[in-house]
Amino acid sequence: MAKVLVIAEIKQGVIKSSTTELLSKAKAIGAETAVVAIGSNIESLIPGLVSAGSDTQYVADDPGLELFSAGPYASCVVDAAKQFGANLIWFGFSESGKAVAPRVAAQLDAACATEITDVTLHGDQIEVTRPAITNKVMQRVKVNIEELVAVVRAGAFEATEGITGTENVIKLSPPAPDLKAVIKELVSDASGDIDLADADIVISVGRGAKDQAGIDLVKELANDLKAGFGSSRAMVDGGFMPHGKQVGQTGKIVAPNLYMAFGISGAIQHLAGMNGSKVILAVNKDPEAPIFNVADYGIVGDLFEVVPILREEIKKIRT
Amino acid sequence: MKILTTVKKVVDVELTIHVKDGAIVEDGLQYVINAWDENAVETAVQLKENSGAETTLVSIGGGDNTDMIRRCYAMGIENGIHIEDPALAAADSFVYAKVLQKVYEKGDYDLVITGKQAQDTDNGQTGIILAEYLGLPCVSNVIAIEVLDDQHIKVSRSGDAGTEIVELELPAVVTVDVSINEPRLPAMRGIMMAKKKKIDVMDLAALGTSPDEVGCATPKSEIAEFLKSDTRQGGQKFEGNAAEITAQVVDLLANEAKVF
Repeated sequence: MAKVLVIAEIKQGVIKSSTTELLSKAKAIGAETAVVAIGSNIESLIPGLVSAGSDTQYVADDPGLELFSAGPYASCVVDAAKQFGANLIWFGFSESGKAVAPRVAAQLDAACATEITDVTLHGDQIEVTRPAITNKVMQRVKVNIEELVAVVRAGAFEATEGITGTENVIKLSPPAPDLKAVIKELVSDASGDIDLADADIVISVGRGAKDQAGIDLVKELANDLKAGFGSSRAMVDGGFMPHGKQVGQTGKIVAPNLYMAFGISGAIQHLAGMNGSKVILAVNKDPEAPIFNVADYGIVGDLFEVVPILREEIKKIRT
Repeated sequence: MKILTTVKKVVDVELTIHVKDGAIVEDGLQYVINAWDENAVETAVQLKENSGAETTLVSIGGGDNTDMIRRCYAMGIENGIHIEDPALAAADSFVYAKVLQKVYEKGDYDLVITGKQAQDTDNGQTGIILAEYLGLPCVSNVIAIEVLDDQHIKVSRSGDAGTEIVELELPAVVTVDVSINEPRLPAMRGIMMAKKKKIDVMDLAALGTSPDEVGCATPKSEIAEFLKSDTRQGGQKFEGNAAEITAQVVDLLANEAKVF
């Protein structure tokens, strides 16, 4: 029987939805499930880990684990994987997951696949599907050994309604700190901003917004909808938006329920970062803009004219 | 400080890519330096200019990489190694990392700089696995590097909760993001000079290893087939009076797509 170890994604004391999504998929393929949670002061999260669908909970709870450090985090995952006898080890689509997964694979001598969108088992044979070449093609990858470490692409798996697990907590001993790569400080992103990776709605601006006034105009709509607010690379290169807000293959890959693109033409790198969204709305002056090829709804128009009307109409519908 | 930087020749993603019978249609493809690796080269050259580092690049596979390597010379890289061996045709990240380990061990380097991923595979694994094989500290997704002294660098990494500031003891491995810098365009004079420079081309035997030792015969995974991307279809596009079409789209978002 397959044994899936899911690395819990915890942010500011909250278990993120990817944890349930990955555990749901594990159960759907008939696997035994465990979760590993790493952090400081995370005891209170155990009931949440159980209800997310895990049947065993490995917990590494130590003050030394408060700030992310890839070495010690990898040690915790390897420890849990060995104790559980995991043959599939799944990370959610996060920067920490992308940093830790290859380390774990190297240490366990397992295979490694990133950005997977599906996994199938044919007996012991593991196969995954994943996009490659900036999302232009898909690959079907055959794993030749029995252990696979994978990073699952945002939005790839869906949570099963009513999923639950059983409590069986196993405490992990704290790993040794990485004395050769010492985390000195975490400079938080602009506080109060909604995380692009978590947001139900993501709104992005591109070159069509022209300058700060244009950005501020679209930002008001994002505030109305409590949406994550991002941008195309052009606005980052232009110095208008911080690089952490760039949506695209070279920035953040998002898969919200609704993605709204304002004044974004739709370069291939940008499309690769958002085309997993459930519904896409695009507003652009150029009727030939490539963004319209992926948008479910397109408005050909000037965002400076459209955004205020959009805000009013949405307000009407929501009251 | 001795820096080793890695460059990979990859397919140009700006062009259309066709898939037929489970394989990529080679006809019409063009090859370029991996975007992230160009940032790695720029990072190495800046460290040379600002801190007196010696810079070497290594490229694995790709056939004739002369133009790409000369371009990196013109940007300011001093030495170039190209590992080319038919056994590497289906190399995965682990094989690349093993080959890089051999290159590293021959050179007594202080810092390895790789792009954070290659735009053909989008794996993002090789640099990190290399660090594991070498037992060196590693930070991935680096957006800034500062040299503190002969033994230490300070890097900024774009993480989940913000920017992580990490002090690394050398030797170390870093993988860089495109936001770390804007790669320079090589000057014409540099391109002319680069033509005279030697490229150290070698196969696995010349590197002092073998296909078996780097794992060519026992890949942990392999690509069974390429498939067409499930591309989205464009939906409804509205043109005309802004107030009318916007109201219409909001109605559809609420009642058809049910997102509000």
